[in-house]
Amino acid sequence: MASQNLLEMQQINKVFGSGLSKVHVLHDINFSAAAGHLNLILGPSGSGKSTFLTIAGGLQAPTNGQVIIAGQSLAALSAKQRDNLRLKQIGFVLQSYNLLPYLNVSDQFSLVDRIKPNNNLSAAKLKKLLKELDIAELIAKYPAELSGGQNQRVAIARALYPNPAIILADEPTAALDSQRVEQVGQLFANLAHNEKKAVIIVTHDLRLKKFADQINEISDGHLQQTIVND
Amino acid sequence: MFLALKEIKHEKLRYGLIIGMIMLISYLVFVLTGLSQGLAQQNTAAIKSWNAKQIVLNKNANVNLTQSLITQKASQQLKLTATEAYVGQASVVAKKSGLAKESAQFIGLESNQFIAQHLQLTSGHWAKNQQQLVVNQSFKTAGYKLGDHLKLNSSKTNYQIVGFTKNATLSIAPVIYGQLATWQQLKNLNNSFKTSAIVSQKANYQTSASDLKAYPIKTFINKLPGYSAQNLTFTFMIAFLMVISLIVIAVFLYILTIQKIQNYAVLRAQGVPAQFLIRATLAQAFLLVLVGIIIAAGLTVLTSLIIPAGTPMTFNLPLLSGIAGGLILMALFGALIPIWTITKIDPITAIGG
Repeated sequence: MASQNLLEMQQINKVFGSGLSKVHVLHDINFSAAAGHLNLILGPSGSGKSTFLTIAGGLQAPTNGQVIIAGQSLAALSAKQRDNLRLKQIGFVLQSYNLLPYLNVSDQFSLVDRIKPNNNLSAAKLKKLLKELDIAELIAKYPAELSGGQNQRVAIARALYPNPAIILADEPTAALDSQRVEQVGQLFANLAHNEKKAVIIVTHDLRLKKFADQINEISDGHLQQTIVND
Repeated sequence: MFLALKEIKHEKLRYGLIIGMIMLISYLVFVLTGLSQGLAQQNTAAIKSWNAKQIVLNKNANVNLTQSLITQKASQQLKLTATEAYVGQASVVAKKSGLAKESAQFIGLESNQFIAQHLQLTSGHWAKNQQQLVVNQSFKTAGYKLGDHLKLNSSKTNYQIVGFTKNATLSIAPVIYGQLATWQQLKNLNNSFKTSAIVSQKANYQTSASDLKAYPIKTFINKLPGYSAQNLTFTFMIAFLMVISLIVIAVFLYILTIQKIQNYAVLRAQGVPAQFLIRATLAQAFLLVLVGIIIAAGLTVLTSLIIPAGTPMTFNLPLLSGIAGGLILMALFGALIPIWTITKIDPITAIGG
Protein backbone atom coordinates (compact mmCIF):
# COMPACT_ATOMS: atom_id res chain seq x y z
CA MET A 1 0.00 0.00 0.00
CA ALA A 2 1.93 3.04 -1.24
CA SER A 3 0.76 6.11 0.56
CA GLN A 4 1.94 9.63 1.11
CA ASN A 5 3.93 10.17 4.31
CA LEU A 6 2.20 12.90 6.31
CA LEU A 7 4.67 12.77 9.19
CA GLU A 8 8.35 11.96 8.95
CA MET A 9 10.92 11.89 11.73
CA GLN A 10 14.51 11.58 10.48
CA GLN A 11 17.47 10.71 12.71
CA ILE A 12 15.81 12.24 15.78
CA ASN A 13 17.83 12.47 18.95
CA LYS A 14 16.74 14.16 22.14
CA VAL A 15 19.10 14.90 24.98
CA PHE A 16 18.05 16.60 28.22
CA GLY A 17 20.57 18.25 30.56
CA SER A 18 24.32 18.15 30.31
CA GLY A 19 27.35 16.69 32.05
CA LEU A 20 26.49 14.20 34.75
CA SER A 21 22.77 14.99 34.54
CA LYS A 22 22.71 14.36 30.78
CA VAL A 23 19.87 12.03 29.71
CA HIS A 24 19.67 10.72 26.14
CA VAL A 25 15.94 10.12 25.79
CA LEU A 26 15.60 9.34 22.07
CA HIS A 27 18.24 7.65 19.92
CA ASP A 28 18.35 8.01 16.13
CA ILE A 29 14.61 7.68 15.67
CA ASN A 30 13.41 7.23 12.11
CA PHE A 31 9.68 7.07 11.78
CA SER A 32 7.08 7.85 9.18
CA ALA A 33 3.32 7.86 9.30
CA ALA A 34 1.48 7.56 6.05
CA ALA A 35 -2.05 8.60 5.17
CA GLY A 36 -4.36 5.62 5.63
CA HIS A 37 -2.24 3.93 8.29
CA LEU A 38 -2.79 3.42 11.99
CA ASN A 39 0.54 3.43 13.86
CA LEU A 40 0.83 2.20 17.39
CA ILE A 41 3.75 3.30 19.56
CA LEU A 42 4.01 0.89 22.45
CA GLY A 43 6.30 1.17 25.38
CA PRO A 44 6.56 1.13 29.13
CA SER A 45 6.58 4.16 31.32
CA GLY A 46 9.81 6.19 30.98
CA SER A 47 10.67 4.67 27.59
CA GLY A 48 10.48 8.04 25.79
CA LYS A 49 6.90 7.73 24.46
CA SER A 50 5.84 11.19 25.61
CA THR A 51 9.01 12.84 24.29
CA PHE A 52 8.42 11.05 20.99
CA LEU A 53 4.86 12.43 20.88
CA THR A 54 5.82 16.01 21.76
CA ILE A 55 8.52 16.06 19.09
CA ALA A 56 6.22 14.44 16.51
CA GLY A 57 3.58 17.06 17.29
CA GLY A 58 5.99 20.00 17.07
CA LEU A 59 5.63 20.85 20.77
CA GLN A 60 9.38 20.67 21.28
CA ALA A 61 12.37 20.54 19.01
CA PRO A 62 14.70 17.55 18.81
CA THR A 63 18.37 17.98 19.77
CA ASN A 64 19.14 16.93 16.23
CA GLY A 65 17.36 15.38 13.29
CA GLN A 66 14.30 16.78 11.60
CA VAL A 67 10.54 16.47 11.69
CA ILE A 68 8.58 16.97 8.50
CA ILE A 69 4.81 17.43 8.66
CA ALA A 70 2.81 17.57 5.43
CA GLY A 71 6.03 18.31 3.54
CA GLN A 72 7.15 21.14 5.84
CA SER A 73 10.22 20.90 8.05
CA LEU A 74 9.29 22.10 11.53
CA ALA A 75 12.78 23.54 12.05
CA ALA A 76 12.08 26.08 9.34
CA LEU A 77 8.87 27.33 10.98
CA SER A 78 8.41 30.04 13.60
CA ALA A 79 6.53 29.26 16.84
CA LYS A 80 3.44 30.96 15.39
CA GLN A 81 3.68 28.93 12.17
CA ARG A 82 4.04 25.73 14.21
CA ASP A 83 0.88 26.69 16.17
CA ASN A 84 -0.91 27.17 12.88
CA LEU A 85 0.37 23.87 11.51
CA ARG A 86 -0.81 22.01 14.63
CA LEU A 87 -4.19 23.75 14.45
CA LYS A 88 -4.72 22.76 10.81
CA GLN A 89 -2.91 19.43 10.43
CA ILE A 90 -2.85 17.67 13.81
CA GLY A 91 -5.63 16.44 16.01
CA PHE A 92 -4.35 15.86 19.55
CA VAL A 93 -6.17 13.45 21.83
CA LEU A 94 -4.60 13.67 25.26
CA GLN A 95 -5.05 11.79 28.52
CA SER A 96 -6.80 14.57 30.45
CA TYR A 97 -7.83 18.23 30.55
CA ASN A 98 -8.95 17.93 26.92
CA LEU A 99 -12.22 19.74 27.51
CA LEU A 100 -12.83 23.16 28.97
CA PRO A 101 -14.99 22.61 32.07
CA TYR A 102 -17.20 25.65 31.44
CA LEU A 103 -18.17 24.70 27.89
CA ASN A 104 -20.86 22.13 27.20
CA VAL A 105 -20.18 19.49 24.55
CA SER A 106 -21.76 21.57 21.80
CA ASP A 107 -19.70 24.64 22.78
CA GLN A 108 -16.47 22.60 22.66
CA PHE A 109 -17.06 22.36 18.90
CA SER A 110 -18.18 26.00 18.62
CA LEU A 111 -14.83 26.97 20.15
CA VAL A 112 -13.04 25.18 17.30
CA ASP A 113 -15.22 27.09 14.79
CA ARG A 114 -14.09 30.37 16.36
CA ILE A 115 -10.39 29.49 16.23
CA LYS A 116 -10.43 27.74 12.87
CA PRO A 117 -13.54 28.76 10.91
CA ASN A 118 -12.81 26.75 7.74
CA ASN A 119 -12.47 23.13 6.72
CA ASN A 120 -13.99 21.64 9.88
CA LEU A 121 -16.36 18.68 9.71
CA SER A 122 -19.78 19.43 8.27
CA ALA A 123 -22.77 19.32 10.62
CA ALA A 124 -23.81 15.98 9.10
CA LYS A 125 -20.34 14.44 9.53
CA LEU A 126 -20.13 15.71 13.12
CA LYS A 127 -23.52 14.18 13.85
CA LYS A 128 -22.36 10.86 12.38
CA LEU A 129 -19.14 11.01 14.41
CA LEU A 130 -21.02 11.73 17.64
CA LYS A 131 -23.34 8.79 16.90
CA GLU A 132 -20.39 6.49 16.22
CA LEU A 133 -18.90 7.50 19.55
CA ASP A 134 -22.29 7.13 21.23
CA ILE A 135 -22.24 10.67 22.62
CA ALA A 136 -24.88 12.35 20.42
CA GLU A 137 -27.29 12.64 23.32
CA LEU A 138 -24.67 14.35 25.54
CA ILE A 139 -24.47 17.52 23.44
CA ALA A 140 -25.87 19.84 26.16
CA LYS A 141 -23.87 18.34 29.03
CA TYR A 142 -20.83 19.86 30.72
CA PRO A 143 -17.64 17.77 31.23
CA ALA A 144 -18.34 17.53 34.97
CA GLU A 145 -21.63 15.78 34.16
CA LEU A 146 -19.91 13.11 32.04
CA SER A 147 -18.14 9.91 33.06
CA GLY A 148 -14.40 9.50 32.37
CA GLY A 149 -15.13 7.39 29.29
CA GLN A 150 -17.69 9.86 27.94
CA ASN A 151 -15.24 12.72 28.47
CA GLN A 152 -12.57 10.86 26.54
CA ARG A 153 -14.93 10.13 23.64
CA VAL A 154 -15.97 13.79 23.48
CA ALA A 155 -12.26 14.69 23.48
CA ILE A 156 -11.71 12.34 20.54
CA ALA A 157 -14.59 13.94 18.64
CA ARG A 158 -13.23 17.42 19.54
CA ALA A 159 -9.79 16.47 18.14
CA LEU A 160 -11.31 15.07 14.94
CA TYR A 161 -13.71 17.97 14.35
CA PRO A 162 -11.05 20.28 12.75
CA ASN A 163 -10.60 17.52 10.16
CA PRO A 164 -6.83 17.07 10.72
CA ALA A 165 -4.66 15.01 8.37
CA ILE A 166 -2.70 13.57 11.30
CA ILE A 167 -4.09 12.29 14.58
CA LEU A 168 -1.76 12.06 17.56
CA ALA A 169 -3.31 10.29 20.51
CA ASP A 170 -1.74 9.90 23.95
CA GLU A 171 -3.27 6.92 25.80
CA PRO A 172 -6.72 7.55 24.28
CA THR A 173 -8.20 4.40 25.80
CA ALA A 174 -6.88 4.89 29.33
CA ALA A 175 -10.30 5.69 30.77
CA LEU A 176 -12.33 3.23 28.70
CA ASP A 177 -13.74 -0.24 29.36
CA SER A 178 -13.08 -3.12 26.93
CA GLN A 179 -16.27 -2.53 24.95
CA ARG A 180 -15.39 1.15 24.47
CA VAL A 181 -11.78 0.28 23.60
CA GLU A 182 -13.14 -1.87 20.79
CA GLN A 183 -15.38 0.99 19.63
CA VAL A 184 -12.63 3.64 19.79
CA GLY A 185 -10.04 1.36 18.21
CA GLN A 186 -12.41 0.70 15.34
CA LEU A 187 -13.10 4.44 14.99
CA PHE A 188 -9.37 5.23 14.72
CA ALA A 189 -8.94 2.37 12.22
CA ASN A 190 -11.84 3.69 10.13
CA LEU A 191 -10.37 7.20 10.21
CA ALA A 192 -7.09 5.82 8.91
CA HIS A 193 -8.51 3.47 6.32
CA ASN A 194 -11.62 5.30 5.13
CA GLU A 195 -10.71 8.95 5.73
CA LYS A 196 -7.03 8.48 4.82
CA LYS A 197 -5.70 10.04 8.00
CA ALA A 198 -2.31 9.23 9.49
CA VAL A 199 -3.14 7.97 12.98
CA ILE A 200 -0.40 7.65 15.61
CA ILE A 201 -1.42 6.27 18.98
CA VAL A 202 1.04 6.26 21.87
CA THR A 203 -0.17 3.69 24.37
CA HIS A 204 0.60 0.72 26.53
CA ASP A 205 -2.90 -0.69 25.89
CA LEU A 206 -2.26 -3.93 24.04
CA ARG A 207 -5.99 -4.25 23.24
CA LEU A 208 -5.40 -1.73 20.41
CA LYS A 209 -2.83 -3.95 18.65
CA LYS A 210 -5.37 -5.62 16.42
CA PHE A 211 -6.34 -2.30 14.80
CA ALA A 212 -2.76 -1.29 13.95
CA ASP A 213 -1.16 -1.32 10.52
CA GLN A 214 2.24 -0.70 11.99
CA ILE A 215 3.42 -1.33 15.54
CA ASN A 216 6.48 0.43 16.91
CA GLU A 217 7.95 -0.52 20.21
CA ILE A 218 9.96 2.07 22.03
CA SER A 219 12.38 0.99 24.67
CA ASP A 220 15.08 3.12 26.32
CA GLY A 221 14.69 5.64 23.53
CA HIS A 222 15.15 3.15 20.69
CA LEU A 223 12.33 2.52 18.24
CA GLN A 224 11.70 -0.88 16.67
CA GLN A 225 9.20 -1.25 13.93
CA THR A 226 6.92 -4.16 13.06
CA ILE A 227 4.72 -4.02 10.02
CA VAL A 228 1.52 -5.81 10.85
CA ASN A 229 -0.61 -5.05 7.88
CA ASP A 230 0.80 -3.58 4.66
CA MET B 1 -15.49 37.19 24.24
CA PHE B 2 -17.01 33.72 23.62
CA LEU B 3 -14.84 32.00 26.25
CA ALA B 4 -15.16 34.93 28.68
CA LEU B 5 -18.98 34.96 28.48
CA LYS B 6 -19.32 31.18 28.67
CA GLU B 7 -17.07 30.94 31.71
CA ILE B 8 -18.79 33.79 33.58
CA LYS B 9 -22.19 32.25 32.78
CA HIS B 10 -21.10 28.82 34.01
CA GLU B 11 -19.26 29.99 37.16
CA LYS B 12 -21.91 32.41 38.38
CA LEU B 13 -20.99 32.40 42.08
CA ARG B 14 -17.25 32.77 41.51
CA TYR B 15 -17.64 35.65 39.06
CA GLY B 16 -20.56 37.12 41.00
CA LEU B 17 -18.22 37.57 43.96
CA ILE B 18 -15.60 39.30 41.81
CA ILE B 19 -18.24 41.55 40.26
CA GLY B 20 -19.55 42.31 43.77
CA MET B 21 -16.07 43.32 44.89
CA ILE B 22 -15.54 45.55 41.85
CA MET B 23 -19.03 46.99 42.26
CA LEU B 24 -18.34 47.98 45.89
CA ILE B 25 -15.02 49.60 44.99
CA SER B 26 -16.57 51.44 42.01
CA TYR B 27 -19.50 52.59 44.15
CA LEU B 28 -17.11 53.94 46.78
CA VAL B 29 -15.09 55.70 44.08
CA PHE B 30 -18.25 57.26 42.61
CA VAL B 31 -19.57 58.41 45.99
CA LEU B 32 -16.19 59.84 47.01
CA THR B 33 -15.93 61.61 43.67
CA GLY B 34 -19.44 63.00 44.20
CA LEU B 35 -18.50 64.20 47.69
CA SER B 36 -15.24 65.69 46.47
CA GLN B 37 -17.08 67.51 43.68
CA GLY B 38 -19.89 68.58 46.00
CA LEU B 39 -17.52 70.01 48.57
CA ALA B 40 -15.41 71.71 45.88
CA GLN B 41 -18.57 73.20 44.43
CA GLN B 42 -19.79 74.46 47.81
CA ASN B 43 -16.42 76.09 48.31
CA THR B 44 -16.43 77.92 45.02
CA ALA B 45 -19.91 78.00 43.44
CA ALA B 46 -20.48 81.70 44.12
CA ILE B 47 -17.09 82.72 42.74
CA LYS B 48 -17.56 80.56 39.65
CA SER B 49 -21.02 82.07 39.04
CA TRP B 50 -19.41 85.51 38.69
CA ASN B 51 -17.28 84.31 35.72
CA ALA B 52 -14.39 86.38 37.02
CA LYS B 53 -10.81 85.80 35.86
CA GLN B 54 -8.81 88.01 38.23
CA ILE B 55 -9.22 89.18 41.82
CA VAL B 56 -7.49 92.13 43.47
CA LEU B 57 -6.81 91.79 47.19
CA ASN B 58 -4.82 93.57 49.83
CA LYS B 59 -1.33 92.22 49.19
CA ASN B 60 -0.86 91.46 52.90
CA ALA B 61 -4.02 89.33 53.06
CA ASN B 62 -2.22 86.10 52.06
CA VAL B 63 -4.63 85.64 49.11
CA ASN B 64 -7.50 85.38 51.60
CA LEU B 65 -10.74 87.25 51.02
CA THR B 66 -11.59 87.25 54.75
CA GLN B 67 -8.28 88.93 55.59
CA SER B 68 -8.43 91.47 52.80
CA LEU B 69 -9.54 95.08 53.20
CA ILE B 70 -9.08 97.68 50.48
CA THR B 71 -9.08 101.31 51.43
CA GLN B 72 -10.99 104.04 49.60
CA LYS B 73 -7.65 105.59 48.65
CA ALA B 74 -6.24 102.37 47.18
CA SER B 75 -9.45 101.60 45.32
CA GLN B 76 -9.34 104.99 43.65
CA GLN B 77 -6.08 104.01 41.99
CA LEU B 78 -7.88 101.27 40.11
CA LYS B 79 -9.71 101.83 36.88
CA LEU B 80 -13.07 100.10 37.09
CA THR B 81 -15.08 99.36 33.93
CA ALA B 82 -18.18 97.30 33.30
CA THR B 83 -16.11 94.11 33.78
CA GLU B 84 -14.98 94.90 37.35
CA ALA B 85 -16.94 94.77 40.60
CA TYR B 86 -16.39 95.37 44.29
CA VAL B 87 -16.87 92.40 46.61
CA GLY B 88 -17.20 92.96 50.35
CA GLN B 89 -17.10 89.74 52.34
CA ALA B 90 -18.11 89.12 55.95
CA SER B 91 -18.81 85.92 57.83
CA VAL B 92 -22.25 86.14 59.38
CA VAL B 93 -24.79 84.14 61.36
CA ALA B 94 -28.38 84.60 60.23
CA LYS B 95 -31.03 84.37 62.93
CA LYS B 96 -34.78 84.28 62.86
CA SER B 97 -36.92 83.25 65.76
CA GLY B 98 -38.31 79.77 65.35
CA LEU B 99 -35.58 78.75 62.88
CA ALA B 100 -32.11 77.37 63.39
CA LYS B 101 -29.20 79.78 63.10
CA GLU B 102 -27.48 79.68 59.71
CA SER B 103 -23.78 80.34 59.30
CA ALA B 104 -23.30 82.19 56.03
CA GLN B 105 -21.00 84.33 53.94
CA PHE B 106 -22.24 87.86 53.33
CA ILE B 107 -21.19 89.34 50.01
CA GLY B 108 -21.75 93.04 49.55
CA LEU B 109 -22.08 94.28 45.98
CA GLU B 110 -22.59 97.54 44.17
CA SER B 111 -25.99 97.38 42.49
CA ASN B 112 -24.69 98.87 39.24
CA GLN B 113 -21.74 96.50 38.83
CA PHE B 114 -21.70 93.28 36.82
CA ILE B 115 -22.12 90.73 39.64
CA ALA B 116 -25.34 92.29 40.98
CA GLN B 117 -26.49 93.03 37.44
CA HIS B 118 -26.09 89.45 36.28
CA LEU B 119 -27.10 87.67 39.48
CA GLN B 120 -29.53 84.89 38.54
CA LEU B 121 -32.50 85.05 40.84
CA THR B 122 -34.84 82.10 41.19
CA SER B 123 -37.44 84.40 42.78
CA GLY B 124 -37.79 87.96 44.09
CA HIS B 125 -35.60 90.93 43.13
CA TRP B 126 -32.18 92.45 43.86
CA ALA B 127 -31.67 94.40 47.14
CA LYS B 128 -32.94 97.92 46.61
CA ASN B 129 -31.73 99.28 49.97
CA GLN B 130 -29.32 98.40 52.76
CA GLN B 131 -31.89 96.28 54.65
CA GLN B 132 -32.71 93.99 51.76
CA LEU B 133 -30.95 90.69 51.08
CA VAL B 134 -30.83 88.05 48.36
CA VAL B 135 -30.02 84.64 49.83
CA ASN B 136 -29.00 81.26 48.56
CA GLN B 137 -31.71 78.73 47.76
CA SER B 138 -30.62 76.59 50.74
CA PHE B 139 -32.26 79.13 53.06
CA LYS B 140 -35.57 77.96 51.61
CA THR B 141 -34.79 74.41 52.73
CA ALA B 142 -33.98 75.82 56.17
CA GLY B 143 -37.48 77.36 56.35
CA TYR B 144 -36.92 80.93 55.15
CA LYS B 145 -39.39 82.52 52.74
CA LEU B 146 -39.50 85.63 50.59
CA GLY B 147 -40.35 88.64 52.79
CA ASP B 148 -39.00 87.01 55.96
CA HIS B 149 -37.05 89.25 58.31
CA LEU B 150 -33.81 88.11 59.92
CA LYS B 151 -30.92 89.47 61.90
CA LEU B 152 -27.23 89.13 61.04
CA ASN B 153 -24.67 88.64 63.81
CA SER B 154 -25.36 90.96 66.71
CA SER B 155 -26.71 93.76 64.52
CA LYS B 156 -30.03 95.22 65.69
CA THR B 157 -31.05 95.86 62.07
CA ASN B 158 -33.91 93.81 60.68
CA TYR B 159 -32.98 92.57 57.21
CA GLN B 160 -35.56 91.33 54.75
CA ILE B 161 -35.18 88.50 52.25
CA VAL B 162 -36.26 89.93 48.89
CA GLY B 163 -34.81 87.32 46.60
CA PHE B 164 -33.44 83.81 46.28
CA THR B 165 -30.55 82.79 44.07
CA LYS B 166 -28.99 79.44 43.29
CA ASN B 167 -25.38 78.21 43.25
CA ALA B 168 -24.44 80.80 45.83
CA THR B 169 -22.06 79.10 48.25
CA LEU B 170 -18.60 80.08 49.42
CA SER B 171 -16.30 78.10 51.72
CA ILE B 172 -19.06 75.49 52.28
CA ALA B 173 -21.49 78.16 53.51
CA PRO B 174 -24.51 79.70 51.79
CA VAL B 175 -24.05 83.23 50.49
CA ILE B 176 -26.21 86.19 51.48
CA TYR B 177 -25.96 88.97 48.92
CA GLY B 178 -26.64 92.58 49.86
CA GLN B 179 -25.43 96.05 49.12
CA LEU B 180 -21.82 97.05 49.67
CA ALA B 181 -22.99 99.60 52.26
CA THR B 182 -24.57 96.74 54.25
CA TRP B 183 -21.16 95.02 54.29
CA GLN B 184 -19.62 98.20 55.73
CA GLN B 185 -22.32 98.20 58.41
CA LEU B 186 -21.75 94.53 59.28
CA LYS B 187 -17.97 95.02 59.51
CA ASN B 188 -18.41 98.28 61.49
CA LEU B 189 -16.14 100.02 59.01
CA ASN B 190 -15.93 103.73 58.39
CA ASN B 191 -15.87 105.28 54.94
CA SER B 192 -12.12 104.95 54.59
CA PHE B 193 -12.58 101.26 53.66
CA LYS B 194 -14.18 100.55 50.34
CA THR B 195 -14.27 96.76 49.82
CA SER B 196 -12.66 93.36 50.52
CA ALA B 197 -11.72 92.72 46.92
CA ILE B 198 -12.24 93.77 43.34
CA VAL B 199 -12.97 91.07 40.80
CA SER B 200 -12.50 91.41 37.08
CA GLN B 201 -13.71 89.39 34.13
CA LYS B 202 -10.52 90.31 32.26
CA ALA B 203 -7.74 87.71 32.50
CA ASN B 204 -5.05 90.41 32.25
CA TYR B 205 -6.49 92.82 34.84
CA GLN B 206 -3.67 94.21 36.98
CA THR B 207 -3.18 96.92 39.58
CA SER B 208 -0.35 99.35 40.13
CA ALA B 209 -1.52 100.29 43.64
CA SER B 210 1.28 99.47 46.08
CA ASP B 211 -1.01 97.91 48.73
CA LEU B 212 -2.88 95.68 46.30
CA LYS B 213 -2.14 92.65 44.22
CA ALA B 214 -4.06 90.96 41.41
CA TYR B 215 -4.30 87.14 41.38
CA PRO B 216 -5.82 84.74 38.86
CA ILE B 217 -9.12 83.36 40.21
CA LYS B 218 -7.67 79.81 40.01
CA THR B 219 -4.87 80.80 42.39
CA PHE B 220 -7.37 82.47 44.70
CA ILE B 221 -9.61 79.34 44.72
CA ASN B 222 -6.66 77.04 45.44
CA LYS B 223 -5.77 79.27 48.39
CA LEU B 224 -9.28 79.07 49.89
CA PRO B 225 -8.80 77.72 53.44
CA GLY B 226 -8.70 73.90 53.34
CA TYR B 227 -9.70 73.71 49.66
CA SER B 228 -6.48 72.22 48.22
CA ALA B 229 -5.90 69.92 51.22
CA GLN B 230 -9.46 68.60 50.93
CA ASN B 231 -9.16 68.03 47.17
CA LEU B 232 -5.81 66.33 47.58
CA THR B 233 -7.22 64.02 50.27
CA PHE B 234 -10.07 62.94 48.00
CA THR B 235 -7.75 62.56 45.01
CA PHE B 236 -5.51 60.26 47.03
CA MET B 237 -8.46 58.21 48.31
CA ILE B 238 -9.83 57.79 44.79
CA ALA B 239 -6.38 56.95 43.39
CA PHE B 240 -5.80 54.34 46.11
CA LEU B 241 -9.19 52.77 45.41
CA MET B 242 -8.34 52.58 41.72
CA VAL B 243 -5.06 50.85 42.57
CA ILE B 244 -6.99 48.48 44.87
CA SER B 245 -9.38 47.68 42.01
CA LEU B 246 -6.34 46.90 39.84
CA ILE B 247 -4.95 44.55 42.50
CA VAL B 248 -8.33 42.82 43.01
CA ILE B 249 -8.71 42.13 39.28
CA ALA B 250 -5.07 41.08 38.93
CA VAL B 251 -5.20 38.67 41.90
CA PHE B 252 -8.56 37.10 40.97
CA LEU B 253 -7.72 36.67 37.30
CA TYR B 254 -4.27 35.34 38.15
CA ILE B 255 -5.71 32.69 40.49
CA LEU B 256 -8.38 31.74 37.94
CA THR B 257 -5.76 31.53 35.17
CA ILE B 258 -3.52 29.33 37.32
CA GLN B 259 -6.50 26.99 37.82
CA LYS B 260 -6.98 26.79 34.03
CA ILE B 261 -3.35 26.27 33.07
CA GLN B 262 -3.75 22.55 32.25
CA ASN B 263 -6.74 23.27 30.00
CA TYR B 264 -4.89 26.15 28.35
CA ALA B 265 -1.82 23.91 27.85
CA VAL B 266 -4.01 21.40 25.98
CA LEU B 267 -5.49 24.19 23.86
CA ARG B 268 -1.99 25.52 23.12
CA ALA B 269 -0.90 21.95 22.15
CA GLN B 270 -3.87 21.80 19.81
CA GLY B 271 -2.56 24.94 18.11
CA VAL B 272 -4.85 27.51 19.71
CA PRO B 273 -2.86 30.77 19.52
CA ALA B 274 -1.87 32.39 22.84
CA GLN B 275 -3.48 35.60 21.49
CA PHE B 276 -6.88 33.89 21.54
CA LEU B 277 -6.51 33.05 25.23
CA ILE B 278 -5.12 36.53 25.96
CA ARG B 279 -8.10 38.14 24.24
CA ALA B 280 -10.43 35.93 26.31
CA THR B 281 -8.70 37.06 29.53
CA LEU B 282 -8.89 40.73 28.51
CA ALA B 283 -12.54 40.33 27.55
CA GLN B 284 -13.21 38.70 30.91
CA ALA B 285 -11.53 41.56 32.82
CA PHE B 286 -13.47 44.08 30.72
CA LEU B 287 -16.82 42.33 31.24
CA LEU B 288 -16.32 41.89 34.99
CA VAL B 289 -15.43 45.52 35.56
CA LEU B 290 -18.10 46.77 33.16
CA VAL B 291 -20.88 44.87 34.93
CA GLY B 292 -19.46 45.99 38.32
CA ILE B 293 -19.42 49.62 37.16
CA ILE B 294 -22.94 49.48 35.70
CA ILE B 295 -24.34 48.14 38.99
CA ALA B 296 -22.28 50.71 40.95
CA ALA B 297 -23.58 53.49 38.67
CA GLY B 298 -27.15 52.32 39.35
CA LEU B 299 -26.50 52.37 43.10
CA THR B 300 -24.94 55.83 42.79
CA VAL B 301 -28.02 57.15 40.99
CA LEU B 302 -30.17 55.61 43.73
CA THR B 303 -27.97 57.22 46.37
CA SER B 304 -28.27 60.62 44.70
CA LEU B 305 -32.05 60.29 44.89
CA ILE B 306 -32.20 59.39 48.57
CA ILE B 307 -29.40 61.42 50.18
CA PRO B 308 -30.55 64.42 52.28
CA ALA B 309 -30.59 67.68 50.31
CA GLY B 310 -27.89 69.24 52.48
CA THR B 311 -25.29 66.55 51.70
CA PRO B 312 -22.52 68.11 49.64
CA MET B 313 -22.62 65.69 46.75
CA THR B 314 -22.52 66.55 43.09
CA PHE B 315 -22.55 63.92 40.38
CA ASN B 316 -20.76 65.22 37.35
CA LEU B 317 -21.49 62.80 34.50
CA PRO B 318 -18.43 63.52 32.31
CA LEU B 319 -16.14 63.22 35.35
CA LEU B 320 -17.79 59.99 36.55
CA SER B 321 -17.58 58.59 33.00
CA GLY B 322 -13.88 59.41 33.04
CA ILE B 323 -13.49 57.65 36.41
CA ALA B 324 -15.39 54.62 35.03
CA GLY B 325 -13.06 54.63 32.01
CA GLY B 326 -10.12 54.77 34.43
CA LEU B 327 -11.47 51.77 36.35
CA ILE B 328 -11.82 49.82 33.09
CA LEU B 329 -8.24 50.70 32.16
CA MET B 330 -7.08 49.60 35.61
CA ALA B 331 -8.86 46.25 35.13
CA LEU B 332 -7.21 45.72 31.74
CA PHE B 333 -3.90 46.68 33.32
CA GLY B 334 -4.62 44.20 36.14
CA ALA B 335 -5.11 41.49 33.50
CA LEU B 336 -1.46 41.85 32.44
CA ILE B 337 -0.18 39.43 35.11
CA PRO B 338 -2.52 36.57 34.08
CA ILE B 339 -1.73 37.40 30.45
CA TRP B 340 1.96 37.08 31.19
CA THR B 341 1.19 33.69 32.76
CA ILE B 342 -0.63 32.59 29.59
CA THR B 343 2.31 33.57 27.39
CA LYS B 344 4.53 31.37 29.58
CA ILE B 345 2.34 28.24 29.27
CA ASP B 346 4.33 25.38 27.81
CA PRO B 347 2.08 23.10 25.72
CA ILE B 348 4.39 20.17 26.52
CA THR B 349 2.84 20.11 30.01
CA ALA B 350 -0.38 18.93 28.33
CA ILE B 351 1.28 15.59 27.48
CA GLY B 352 1.32 13.24 30.43
CA GLY B 353 2.82 9.84 31.07
